[in-house]
Amino acid sequence: MKFLCVPCDKPMQLLQATPPDRGSVSLVYSCDACGYEFAMLTNPHETQVVTSLGVTLGKDGVAESKCPFTGVLAEMETAEDGIRWTAGAQERMSSVPEFVRPMARSGIEKYAKDQGYAEIDEKVLAEARSHFGM
Amino acid sequence: MKSYYDITGDGGSNILEQVGAIQAAIAEKLAGVKYRIAIGSGKGGVGKSTLTRQLATALRQRGNACAILDADLNGPSQARLSGLQDVPLLPGAEGVALPKDANGVGVVSLGSLIPETEAVSFDTVAQGDSYTWRATREFAAVGELLASIDWGQLDYLLIDLPPGVERTLQFAEFLGSQTSFILVTVPSDLARGVVARSVVALRGAPNRILGYVENMKGYWCDACNNVRPLFPESNRIDLGIPKLGSVPFDPELAAACDRGELAVGNDRPWWVAVKKLAETVEEIIESKPVDVAE
Repeated sequence: MKFLCVPCDKPMQLLQATPPDRGSVSLVYSCDACGYEFAMLTNPHETQVVTSLGVTLGKDGVAESKCPFTGVLAEMETAEDGIRWTAGAQERMSSVPEFVRPMARSGIEKYAKDQGYAEIDEKVLAEARSHFGM
Repeated sequence: MKSYYDITGDGGSNILEQVGAIQAAIAEKLAGVKYRIAIGSGKGGVGKSTLTRQLATALRQRGNACAILDADLNGPSQARLSGLQDVPLLPGAEGVALPKDANGVGVVSLGSLIPETEAVSFDTVAQGDSYTWRATREFAAVGELLASIDWGQLDYLLIDLPPGVERTLQFAEFLGSQTSFILVTVPSDLARGVVARSVVALRGAPNRILGYVENMKGYWCDACNNVRPLFPESNRIDLGIPKLGSVPFDPELAAACDRGELAVGNDRPWWVAVKKLAETVEEIIESKPVDVAE
């Protein structure tokens, strides 16, 4: 979707995006030529349809698409108590897509707990790969 | 007055550019995959997933590097079929490491991440109206999986599709013309009628249909030492595409699938048929490779 300032015949530019409020995102556009501003206020369905593409709304991604399996995760056994992650291991997990990262973390924490580890570092990740034949 | 096409970008969110970046990431991750084959049907319950697993194993035994993407997000079964239900996704050198089964076949399935006691549900700000966005979200999720896995160098990537004629066509468009299709049916007119609709739907897509597999063509009876009839067969419905092979049902195989095992290396009729199917698929796809310069 694009917006055009009809009097100036110039494309409008995104000026400001506010974080979602009950599923609604407010996006303020302005015309660089005349300074006219207007706001597009999405309803939750519009927000959901666009973010379902796996994209973010706004220049800084104010309406970020969250892990789509939040509902499932809430009912799963989440973080194993007492398992710590080193900064290096956390960084390695950034290569796992965000939408499956919580579930991947949960599986790795279970492996670490089964092996008697209190901390997950890069060595444990490598060991887990080997353990699972990857 | 300017039209949509006179303006570059959307002024801020760059939605199309973001979608393009995802597609580019998918293309990059799949660059080392020689052949992509989607296993679909339109009809549910005809054995798409089991056949996908069997075919991948047979292709692997013929010396091919193979992997399976379980694209049935709502009913993922490849994790159980492959004995990989408790294998987490782990970061590798170039993205997520590819989990592999005992035969060396790569398997990516949400069944490895979500217990069978849970339904796959997506976070939403439009509660109660999932029909307006869910299909889009599911395709995006499949895209994110494709773009994140370190598929490496593969001869075959088999994509196990969900049921539904419309979904089969949507996946054809989503996966692009580089992906060929194999359709699975059982011998009954009921199933063939639905698969016939999938053939018609796919005619409108640029994807190559390699042919169809007649699954559950009778069942193997250990007591009779013979294949016995299972479905009524009339063959009144001509699918108009080549038949790649027929595979009988085997209760022993069904039990092995439940256990996450695939007892290959025997001469039971289903395995003999699947080995022949793998040979046929190899011959057909290599005789006319898909143009990868899409």
